[in-house]
Amino acid sequence: MSESNREIHELLVDYAGALRDGCIPTFLKSLRREEAERIASSWEFWDAAEVSRILNSAGFADKAVAPNVGLFISRVDAEIASRLKKAKASPHGKRSARARSVTKRENRTEKSI
Amino acid sequence: MNKRLRNALKGLTAPDVERRRRAMEPFVRETQVRFFKYLYWYLGNEGECEVVLEDVYADIWENPERLRNITNEKQLLRTVYLYYMRKRLREVYRRINRNLYLSQRNLKDLIAPEIGTLEMVSRSELQRILGQALSKLKARERRAIEFWMEGASNRAIANELKTTVGAVKMLVYRTMLKLRKMLRYYYRED
Repeated sequence: MSESNREIHELLVDYAGALRDGCIPTFLKSLRREEAERIASSWEFWDAAEVSRILNSAGFADKAVAPNVGLFISRVDAEIASRLKKAKASPHGKRSARARSVTKRENRTEKSI
Repeated sequence: MNKRLRNALKGLTAPDVERRRRAMEPFVRETQVRFFKYLYWYLGNEGECEVVLEDVYADIWENPERLRNITNEKQLLRTVYLYYMRKRLREVYRRINRNLYLSQRNLKDLIAPEIGTLEMVSRSELQRILGQALSKLKARERRAIEFWMEGASNRAIANELKTTVGAVKMLVYRTMLKLRKMLRYYYRED
């Protein structure tokens, strides 16, 4: 994935490979400005990318091993408990944050007018 | 939709937070494998899927409004993907995209696209549709895609087909476009 100035077919194959091998971030980071522009302007890339996702799901998604459900439930519960705790610790946090952002937006509107 | 899932959904959409929390266990038990595999389509990484899915469930607990009036599993999957998973997927990649050249819109389309008909069909139906499409390809094209789906590298495919890596890339790309044309009825055309 380190080659420079890849053609659109190479970009697609690299994207599909990254999706298949679980390294999409590496693919994204490998993109150069010209390559990103090439992707943006190529409808063929987007069409082929859709197919690569379908092939990925048919070929690999079933091989993915879901985590142990018991352990996973306890992790979800811990996440919920932490959110509950946060909500209880700052009952007005959300409201004040929202109020702040509303004020900000209003200020911005005033400026732009 | 089975009774356990229906009851779990009922509990999840209750106003009482503790009841929602209790309902999460049966809900996770009923949906975890399906949601996990669904996320894997887009992330292709088990560790990342676990982290994202954990947040998705917590988001559902926190704000379950979208899950009201769900009547079947397809609708549930679609709703969870559109309103909970996509948000998290975008967050994962937005962080990465700070130093990238892709626009946010392109990034979104690449990693958390709109849901298509093929994503909603059952596994067996998808296999049937793909099997039909693959059978219409030329032998060389089909072999390239099959090798690719088995996880072979471009180099390995090139060795099998007695050609170059560059030619394999072009062949896979053209074959995917051909498949896209064959499957056009299942895609939303803009």
